[in-house]
Amino acid sequence: MRRSTLSLLLALVVLLLAGCMPALTPTPSPPPQAKPSATSTPQEPLTVTYPGRDWGYPSPFGFYPRGPGYIRMSLIFDTLVWKDEKGFIPWLADSWETSPDGLTWTFTLHPGVLWQDGQPLTAEDVAFTYAYFQKHTTAFKWCASLQDVDTIKAQDQQTVIITLKKPLAGFLADVAGTVPIIPKHIWEKVQDPAKFTSPEAVIGSGPFKLVQYSKEEGRYIYEANPSFFKGKPIIDRLVFVKVQDSALALKTGTVDAATFWGKEIEAVQKLLQEEGLRSVEGPSFWVLQLIFNTSKSPLDQPAFRHAIAQAIDRQKIVEQVTHGGAIVANLGIISPKTEWYNPNLPTYKYDPSKAREALQSLGLVGAKFTLLTTESFAREAELIKADLEKAGLQIEIKTGDRSTVDGLLRKNAFDLAINGHGGIANPSILDNPVWPASCYHNERYNELFAAQAQAVNAEERKKLVWQLQELLAEDLPVLTLYHPKMWCLYNPQVLDSWFYTAGGVDGGIPLPLNKLVFLAR
Amino acid sequence: MRVAQYLFTTLIVLSLNFFLPRMIPGDPLSTLTGDPSADMPILLTDEIRGKLLHYYGLDRPLGEQYILYLRNLARGDLGWSIYYKTPVAALLWKHLRWTLLLMGSTMIIYLSLGSFLGVLSAWHRGSKLDTGLLLGIFGLGSWPSFFTAMLLIIFFSVKLNLFPIGGATSIYTSGNNLTRALDIAHHLILPSLALVIAYLPSIYFLTRNATLSALGENYIRTARAKGLSESLVLWRHTLPNVFLPLITMIAMRLGFLVMGAITVEVVFSYPGMGTLIVEAFAARDYPVLQGAFLLITMAVLCCNLMAEILYNRLDPRVKQQ
Repeated sequence: MRRSTLSLLLALVVLLLAGCMPALTPTPSPPPQAKPSATSTPQEPLTVTYPGRDWGYPSPFGFYPRGPGYIRMSLIFDTLVWKDEKGFIPWLADSWETSPDGLTWTFTLHPGVLWQDGQPLTAEDVAFTYAYFQKHTTAFKWCASLQDVDTIKAQDQQTVIITLKKPLAGFLADVAGTVPIIPKHIWEKVQDPAKFTSPEAVIGSGPFKLVQYSKEEGRYIYEANPSFFKGKPIIDRLVFVKVQDSALALKTGTVDAATFWGKEIEAVQKLLQEEGLRSVEGPSFWVLQLIFNTSKSPLDQPAFRHAIAQAIDRQKIVEQVTHGGAIVANLGIISPKTEWYNPNLPTYKYDPSKAREALQSLGLVGAKFTLLTTESFAREAELIKADLEKAGLQIEIKTGDRSTVDGLLRKNAFDLAINGHGGIANPSILDNPVWPASCYHNERYNELFAAQAQAVNAEERKKLVWQLQELLAEDLPVLTLYHPKMWCLYNPQVLDSWFYTAGGVDGGIPLPLNKLVFLAR
Repeated sequence: MRVAQYLFTTLIVLSLNFFLPRMIPGDPLSTLTGDPSADMPILLTDEIRGKLLHYYGLDRPLGEQYILYLRNLARGDLGWSIYYKTPVAALLWKHLRWTLLLMGSTMIIYLSLGSFLGVLSAWHRGSKLDTGLLLGIFGLGSWPSFFTAMLLIIFFSVKLNLFPIGGATSIYTSGNNLTRALDIAHHLILPSLALVIAYLPSIYFLTRNATLSALGENYIRTARAKGLSESLVLWRHTLPNVFLPLITMIAMRLGFLVMGAITVEVVFSYPGMGTLIVEAFAARDYPVLQGAFLLITMAVLCCNLMAEILYNRLDPRVKQQ
């Protein structure tokens, strides 16, 4: 073959170095493409390849605490409940009950679930898991929610009883549906879980087993777990590879599916026209917002923030920057694609002359502010600057890298800042509307938030979440700008079952990588 | 004396490596607890934040952290990465070996090719060959390297389908060493080519200029007047004088061996040091940054030392001074 002759020269040099490369990992056998026999190809393993990068070792303590890292872990580990495109469904727990006061939760586990090493999964493991995560704060992703768990008891092999210190409205979403259950017989010996990276650390009960992980190449290879309690997955192998350009990788067939969002809408449209690809659209549960430093005068005056809101044409930002790849944001932060969304909020229609009048009456025409942003949102910043200068303010844009902006926000060292975050499918996110800054203080807001967090009744909680959104839209500690859309483009010949999970996987991960995609349903 | 100088430099650089990353706004925890582009932020209570800072030793006074860092370093312990959750030394080695492979093969090619073409060009100064090389290499060198890299991918990987679009190895390679080496080489060709194109011009121009100025010297005229053959003039009298600036340049370039080439690595998703440093910087992963910079510093200092020694050998004038 031509490629091998081309490579032969360099191969000699490489051979030398290859000697000092440790055998990367046990290579899964047999390699799928290396079966040329035309007569007997009864079962070519079905492999799905997806782009990604290194998100850490997929053990509950090893993954980098972000959405894609959680996804990689969730393929191996299961939770008590899980979500499909409509909402919560039974998972390790077949059923659950709450006491009327909302303080006691009883879960009945599915019988006969096995760990990937063959040991049975029992209520003991669940009880151990919760206690273990409470003790080891390095798994901080779940610390905050687990703090409210008082006791956890394995009543018998299949029944777990959890008591809470106070009612937790989001218990299913924030605890039962997100904390991965780990095997007691492995982890009880582990003192420092953050440094436990042996192969045993990735023994779970889930539909996939990890067979290869290469940190520097950002590569994960999973194989189907034939004894998974919900049945063997419909694919044999799931592979994540690092590619620089997902569109190019889809085109060349290097990957079978990939996601795109917001500004990438043009690439999506082009790919859909050219190639035999299909797409599903989903919400990103992500919001870009203009944060006001409400602890600083004159930004502490709601009237001033209202004037700024009227001065900024949010529709124009959506059109010019995202080319329609986003929708104008809900001023109450929560994603419009959720059950919590309050559609009756004021919108502060774009009205530059009114804004200017308001600024004049406040005596703030000509006042000078800095606008902090990362390079990724420089165009949004330019448009906002132009709008605000038209209304009579002076704006100086300051750009920094992500961590710098983050650090400045945390110190509340800014006037105006453009920052975005996800998770807006879950009302818990409203805890701090100006995250990661901490400049907003409003007693009534805090009371409302605490009340909804403990509301046992769903209708009552919804009412309170609506009031929170109203308060946000009135008081305007942040001016939300837009919610991007997301698309998963895939090759239907390889796998056709991609979907977006209700409210996102886990607490709001906007990826189509729910393990249910790979299971027969 | 020299040794003291080198030790002093090392100490200064060590301190800079420690303090500089800590002076930039942002801290490792903030990147650990939420990347807005990916998913929901993790809201940390102050108590848990405190526990985490304590776990990573970041709650101690800076001076104490510094002394601890030096003490661990003396024991050969580079520490534990906060973001990557793995020992720093192992992490660095995983990336370093790819960078050594990529930069090493690239360097061998562009150094030999560049200096050869440079001498060739100068020797035939003013000829069509010289003009052609000059223009061609000047033209090539004016592309930014990431752009060359993307062109190579589009042409050789997408259109011709000869090479993979990125990565360092295939997902599946059968166990035997030769196929693995072939596979690694197959992934190496395009990024290596992109880097050769990027680095060739500087070495070519340097050699050409050095050769030209050597050729203009009186001792060459003398050599020719003595009736020496052209090859003797080239090998015995010209080239030794070209080596001196070349060695300085190579010594400086050797530092790149461990630093990697960020843009090309990113375009080809090549798992080298460049990518690691950029990522670790974004995550404010202090231990990894310290380790990586230490490695680079050491490499540069070693190369300097080697260049000095070589200079002594090659140029008797240095020794006399």
